[in-house]
Amino acid sequence: MIEDDLRAAFARHEPLTPPTGPLRAAIDRLTIRRRRRRRRWQAGGTALALLGVLGLGVPLLTPERGGPPPAAELLGESARPVPPGALNILLLGLDGDGPAATRADAVLLVHIPADRSRPYLVSLPRDLGVSVPGHGTDKLNSAFPSGVGSSRPEMTKGYDLTRRTVAELTGVQVDAGVVLTYRVLSTLTDAVGGVPVCLPDQVRSVHTRRVFPAGCHRLDGAASVDLLRQRYGLPEGSQDRDRNARLFAAGLVRQATDRGILTDPVRLAKLLTVVGPDLVVSPDRAAVLNLLRLVPTLRTVEPVGLGLPVVGPTARDRHLRVDPTFAPEFLRALREDRLGEWADRHPALVDVAR
Amino acid sequence: MTYEEFADARLAPLLRYAVMLTGDPHQAQDLVQETMVRVQLNWRRVARADSPERYVRRMLTNQYVDWKRGSWMRRVLLRGEPDESLPAPADHAQSAVDRDQIWTWLSRLPRRQRATLVLRYYEDLPDAEIADILGCAVGTVRSSISRALATLRAEYVEVRS
Repeated sequence: MIEDDLRAAFARHEPLTPPTGPLRAAIDRLTIRRRRRRRRWQAGGTALALLGVLGLGVPLLTPERGGPPPAAELLGESARPVPPGALNILLLGLDGDGPAATRADAVLLVHIPADRSRPYLVSLPRDLGVSVPGHGTDKLNSAFPSGVGSSRPEMTKGYDLTRRTVAELTGVQVDAGVVLTYRVLSTLTDAVGGVPVCLPDQVRSVHTRRVFPAGCHRLDGAASVDLLRQRYGLPEGSQDRDRNARLFAAGLVRQATDRGILTDPVRLAKLLTVVGPDLVVSPDRAAVLNLLRLVPTLRTVEPVGLGLPVVGPTARDRHLRVDPTFAPEFLRALREDRLGEWADRHPALVDVAR
Repeated sequence: MTYEEFADARLAPLLRYAVMLTGDPHQAQDLVQETMVRVQLNWRRVARADSPERYVRRMLTNQYVDWKRGSWMRRVLLRGEPDESLPAPADHAQSAVDRDQIWTWLSRLPRRQRATLVLRYYEDLPDAEIADILGCAVGTVRSSISRALATLRAEYVEVRS
């Protein structure tokens, strides 16, 4: 019977099937390349974009452990001068309220060039395999909990280990840093009067069962945190979360601008009072506060978004790795304050905001 | 279900299916790669389907049926040697010829007909599901199966006579 012959022929040719391992890796590589081409904006993580969009984010979130800063500081009469030269500010968005067992799922370097032209946002993927000083090779987002430790957990230790990890990875000196928790994010959102966000797809919270339908919303603090935590159940996981964070960040900045908060020292001071107590900063409040005085000197606050070029996981190693073709040149440009040139040479690897 | 879970579970069966469709491991890899990249890029849409597995199989089948003839031909010309990884035929000569011949004849069938045969006799799917994958009526599935079998039978007769 011809049907039996057909079945036999198919079965006989089954051994022709090649192994799936190399194919899987090739698929992932190609997907990343196409996605990079397709994606217009790839800042990563919850708080990252939030702070990133303006670079104003940093001064906005200046620490306030001891009450509101004197107006004089805000108005730029602080004793310390703004350091000349390029600056790198490390922003960490925590997946929780810390300190223990909380990963830093958003890792962003804000690079302010010496010519003060505009801020550059360099996002470092949380799944990047990196050498964590004293802890071997691990994902970037694990450096924070490794540093925090379990005996006497302290966020500053988590920040510090992440800072050293990032410094080793990129070769740049980190001048200042800010750590954001869910609580800070929530307080900040409420303090500006809610944030408008327009979602392209419905998001269902696995934490609260809340459903965010596609379309425009004005989110309060609790809803914002809920939305920005959602990764499981989203088709593209942290990719989609990054996109939501980006939308949120744009909304936050729009809201703060509309309300004139960013340019009004009194309202800014009030905001800092509300947000302040939870905020962890490095090296100290004054240093971060100093950055506020940079803002008027920037020619534009519109940031240039750049992702560290990475390649996908291989069959043997599930971490992302730095792209051997582009990353060395990119990091050299970052160290030598030539990101503008690099962005001009590689327009395909630059985010287009909005 | 995440893309990773889907790929863990379904990549190998899809690859086998593609081998049966194309009759060639290299083309099968290309076919699966192209399909799965699109699956991963559009995972949201794929995951929304009632059965992502069937949805992807449909994508792959369409990709195969619509594959540009130009690149297809070029690949065939570049690699002349057939399937060296096949187990050597143990039977007597005529039977071996028959066996390889059926594989060769399959490659001459229109791609839609070959896909129908693979779905029916390799994947053992019911006609309704085959119709769903190919996006046609159940009657069309049956007629294209019988037309394909008729073609193969005619080849048999030609060889035997």
